[in-house]
Amino acid sequence: MKILVCVKQVPDMESRFKVNSEGVWYDEKDLAFKLNEYDEFALEQAVRVKEQLGNTVDITVLSIGPDRVVEAIKKGLAMGGDRGIHIKDDHPWQKDPWQIASVIAAFARDKNFDLVFTGLQSQDRGSAQVGGILAELLGFACATTLVAFELNGDLVTVRQELDGGMCAILKFKLPAVVTCQMGLNTPRYPTLPNIMKARQKELLAFPVTNFIGPKNLAATERMYLPEKKGHGLVLEGDVNEVADRLVGVLKEKTTVLR
Amino acid sequence: MDFELSPDHKVLQSSVRDFVEKEVKPLAIQIDENHKIPDELIQKISALGLLGSFIPEVYGGAGLDILSYALVVEEVSKACASSGVLISAHTSLACDPILHFGTESQKQKFLPPLAAGGKIGSFLLTEPEAGSDVANMATMYRKDGDGFIINGNKIFVTNGGFRGTGILFASIDRNLKHKGISAFIVDLESEGVEILRNENKLGIRGSFTTSFSINNLKVPAENLLGSEGQGFKIAMETLNGGRIGIAAQALGIAEGAFERALAYSKERKQFGHPISELQSIQFKLADMYTRIETSRLIVYRSAWLKENKKSYAVESAMCKLHASETATYVTKEAIQIHGGYGYVTEYEVERMYRDAKITEIYEGTSEIQRLIISKALLS
Repeated sequence: MKILVCVKQVPDMESRFKVNSEGVWYDEKDLAFKLNEYDEFALEQAVRVKEQLGNTVDITVLSIGPDRVVEAIKKGLAMGGDRGIHIKDDHPWQKDPWQIASVIAAFARDKNFDLVFTGLQSQDRGSAQVGGILAELLGFACATTLVAFELNGDLVTVRQELDGGMCAILKFKLPAVVTCQMGLNTPRYPTLPNIMKARQKELLAFPVTNFIGPKNLAATERMYLPEKKGHGLVLEGDVNEVADRLVGVLKEKTTVLR
Repeated sequence: MDFELSPDHKVLQSSVRDFVEKEVKPLAIQIDENHKIPDELIQKISALGLLGSFIPEVYGGAGLDILSYALVVEEVSKACASSGVLISAHTSLACDPILHFGTESQKQKFLPPLAAGGKIGSFLLTEPEAGSDVANMATMYRKDGDGFIINGNKIFVTNGGFRGTGILFASIDRNLKHKGISAFIVDLESEGVEILRNENKLGIRGSFTTSFSINNLKVPAENLLGSEGQGFKIAMETLNGGRIGIAAQALGIAEGAFERALAYSKERKQFGHPISELQSIQFKLADMYTRIETSRLIVYRSAWLKENKKSYAVESAMCKLHASETATYVTKEAIQIHGGYGYVTEYEVERMYRDAKITEIYEGTSEIQRLIISKALLS
């Protein structure tokens, strides 16, 4: 079985973001980057499939971006991926999700992958579109927002998280693309020996122009930091009265209480 | 010239950082208060391979380089200096001398359990009357058939309470001074090894600092490390390398305190503004950060020198001197920035201040480091 895991490197979300000079993306200078958190769930699930089925499973970890994304790929290899693909693109943020999915599809189309894992979304762009578009382009089944995954033969059973606290069970056959949500698993920490072994694993790099695809369908017009909202609500007065008002606010403005 | 960490080092750094954030940081206050690192945490540290970073793969380690080891100790020490020194003393003071001075069969026998964490390593050098003056040691050995018999007392043994694998130093004749000293690999569970106490300390309270009484301890000939009379050289060379580990620990402590002080200065409002807008605080932060970054450069460079088999004794003395004095300075200023809250356990910088001080003392005091550096300059 051949598995593809698509990962992205994103800034540490605790960074202070500034808009770049073009005004359509954040300034990458001085930011620390790490593996997109949702992609860690994707990697972990792929490695679990390998543990379930044994060494007949081969996991390819793919990332699109500048040289720094090699760190994200290597982390994937240290977690248990078998080989890495780096599609070199110094400005991946200029591509919309449709183009990113097209690049991956162009790479993957003739590789006979059975299963593609990716994160539900990236933490920086957050479009949650790449997995779905990729499935469509490859003609694969697709399930998004997974919180449980099971594979029996070529039959996949997943639990999908829906809005409003609902879940759905889906069944479908391979080949498939699935996108992974927090709660699916607890990603392992790469051990030091596995970090060392990852250095020996194949990591091939290709220019993104090898996979030239369609023009973009959407473009970012402007990126900006929203104006700061007012301060939090401070309730003051008698404890019982404040508690009643708090319950009212929680019922009215949140889904914590119904 | 390249001042960037390689992608492989960055993967290691971010992986260890994730582990520390989730598994070590939440326990740091408890470790200090209970004077104990929980067994489960030590198991997790072992399972991740943090105890065998630069031990070659053939002996069960990860086979990484010295810089990787320094990064591990630094990251762990950002959250918990007690856990940092467990790794540092184990790796630098027990694994490293076996790796460098051990016979092939000693490496095959002793390194795999150390790399896997089944045995925690320690270094039995210091005595009540022999601290910086190592050659004055009173622990004596004599030959007994093929082996040796050792008697004496050892104090301030980091990790001693685990009763794992120790590198024990003893003299055959005090008149021979440093030429009479030999090193032995001993199982601290052996008959004749008695723990007198584990010290109660100012800082690194989760780490064992143990006093031993050694009474007619029988050591087989195959456990002699290096040759007879080579013990002083083994001790000194081991400490040269150990200083990089302690400097990395000090760097981590300083960074942990700085991160908290920086964040707090932006949150804490006085007179209607965050205190980070006050120049008195800004200048503190600038000085703290400058000392941390210069420490980092010299710690990483010392690791690189050792890895590349270049002479590093002066650099390791400088990196330990500078990083440890940076750690006490930065943690002190971090408390000052926190004001009264900094004095309270919950904010953790008071613990870091207590933890930092020992880095100026163990594995060679700051005074000894200055002696090493100035001797090299003037020789």
